[in-house]
Amino acid sequence: MKRTLAYLSLLFILGVLLYVANPNYGLKFGPGGNEWLSLRYTDNYYITHGLQEVGGANIVTDIVFDYRGYDTIGEATVLFTAIAGAVALLRPWGRDER
Amino acid sequence: MNCVGDDMGVIVRTAARATIPLIGIFGSYIVAHGHLTPGGGFQGGATIAGAGILFLLAFGLDEMKKRYNKNLYSALEGIGGLAFLGAAMLGIGVAFFYNTLWHNGPFFSGKPGTLLSAGFLPIMNLAVGLKVFTGLVSAMAGLALYRRWRE
Repeated sequence: MKRTLAYLSLLFILGVLLYVANPNYGLKFGPGGNEWLSLRYTDNYYITHGLQEVGGANIVTDIVFDYRGYDTIGEATVLFTAIAGAVALLRPWGRDER
Repeated sequence: MNCVGDDMGVIVRTAARATIPLIGIFGSYIVAHGHLTPGGGFQGGATIAGAGILFLLAFGLDEMKKRYNKNLYSALEGIGGLAFLGAAMLGIGVAFFYNTLWHNGPFFSGKPGTLLSAGFLPIMNLAVGLKVFTGLVSAMAGLALYRRWRE
């Protein structure tokens, strides 16, 4: 009974998602077309100017390492701190040496 | 059941010996072509670290202790972070993170789409890839070395 209910609910969720995610008559996530160009102009700026301003053919790398370089510095710092903290917390402490 | 200190048997060891170089080459490709194709320093470094973790799992902790040098990996991680910051400092005359190598640099200023282009992006990709690889391998070795539970 429970298992049947679970499968039925999964099927229901799948149907709802299939309806919602359909681009023809589903929900619209944000504007599209020319309205998109006027509202989300930074996206278009990166796409059109990224190749000549930064020079990488991969626009994502252009954004991550040049336009959003501070974010990448923070990310590297977070990784460094996480590893340092993990090693510092995991290594045997004084009271563990029996 | 094997404990963590052991290796995982001859089948897994042979398969790992065959696949670890391929994983390493693929990760190096992702890092080196980070400014041209999808991927980059973080993703390629994590891929190479996957090869290291596969080595640790397949060959066991005793073999890993012989090959893993803590001081070397710490130094390499520091060098990666410093190279990243140094590449960002190159164009400090205009702004932090200004890509001066690409606009008027002596090298790394080729045609867009070639390997030696895009200014500091290849340097930063290599630095971040080195940093992520050594960091993740160090974290995994630390987890395996300093485990608290009993068998």
